[in-house]
Amino acid sequence: MKAPGRRILAGNIAFGLLFGFAIANIGFGDFGELNRMFTFGDLRMLGAFGGGVALAAAAFAVVGRPPPRARLHAGLVPGAMLFGTGWAISGGCPAIPIVQVASGAVPGVATIAGVVVGMAACRRANERWFHLDQGSCGL
Amino acid sequence: MSGYWPWWVGAPALATVTFGYWRTVGRTLGASTAWDRVLHWREERAVEQLDAAFDDAGFEAALSAATAEAFGSATVAVATRAVAPSVIEAAPDAPAAAAAPATDADAAPAPAPPVPVAAHAALLASIFVGGLIAAVVSGRFEVRLDMGPDFASLVAGGWRMWPTLFLGGVLAGFGTRLAGGCSSGHGLSGCSRLQPASLVATAAFFGTAVAVSFLLWDVL
Repeated sequence: MKAPGRRILAGNIAFGLLFGFAIANIGFGDFGELNRMFTFGDLRMLGAFGGGVALAAAAFAVVGRPPPRARLHAGLVPGAMLFGTGWAISGGCPAIPIVQVASGAVPGVATIAGVVVGMAACRRANERWFHLDQGSCGL
Repeated sequence: MSGYWPWWVGAPALATVTFGYWRTVGRTLGASTAWDRVLHWREERAVEQLDAAFDDAGFEAALSAATAEAFGSATVAVATRAVAPSVIEAAPDAPAAAAAPATDADAAPAPAPPVPVAAHAALLASIFVGGLIAAVVSGRFEVRLDMGPDFASLVAGGWRMWPTLFLGGVLAGFGTRLAGGCSSGHGLSGCSRLQPASLVATAAFFGTAVAVSFLLWDVL
């Protein structure tokens, strides 16, 4: 494997480990904590999320932000609203059920199965009906 | 409350992941895109193999030949000279003005190499291992068949929990791909780079999640 490939793989492993470790320890896998965040009953997780965005924004501002890639498109707001609904109901976004299952919560498997089905359905629906170039959030 | 990190520990950890991933990998972190690519790995691998097999010099030669066939050799000489003037002999019958359209290949920096689908699979596996380590170290690891008392009382208990989680997952999976990102891609990576699309998406999914979470109190 070439050097850039090794660096990309090592980066994905190292920051994947840290990401899983952090979101589990912050409590994103805990439905009760999540519901208290969304209903402003406990601002701790909101502070971690908002503070994380603010600190990362400061770091990007210091080194110069990479050029924007995400585009505004017709699927952006409807998609985000569907996602917000699913997150509030199941307590799972695409990464969270992984750490739920890792902590021993077996029903997280049902959330992961749903995420898999939903993503496959979106790809097919987009090919057939929407024809949107959703781009991606920056990958 | 139950041994979770205070916000001032969680915030630098999330910022380190968001910024460090970009510094190391050259792309921004996004869990839903990683998922989507791993799920469709056959298609993604096919694209990667086409990319790897793509022969720039051969493509250019074939393009030149096809252009010469369609428009005559003088056009090819002019067009190619705009890219690599040293290798092409002057074409005497070429109109000088036609040489003007220059490519701006030098103006844009080379994009970072794409993340191979195998590295995205490693990202998801590492999130699992990181979560497992956190659960074991903190003493929260426990094999159980429920999602906690709050889920049972606010959303669904008993057998109804399973289809509810599945339905929520479908909405999250469909929605994140339709929106082109999730809480890590739009929320962390996008908002910290002040991308307008990510700020709009984050406001929409967070606002909806707040509304639905309050509704759970009232309705169910």
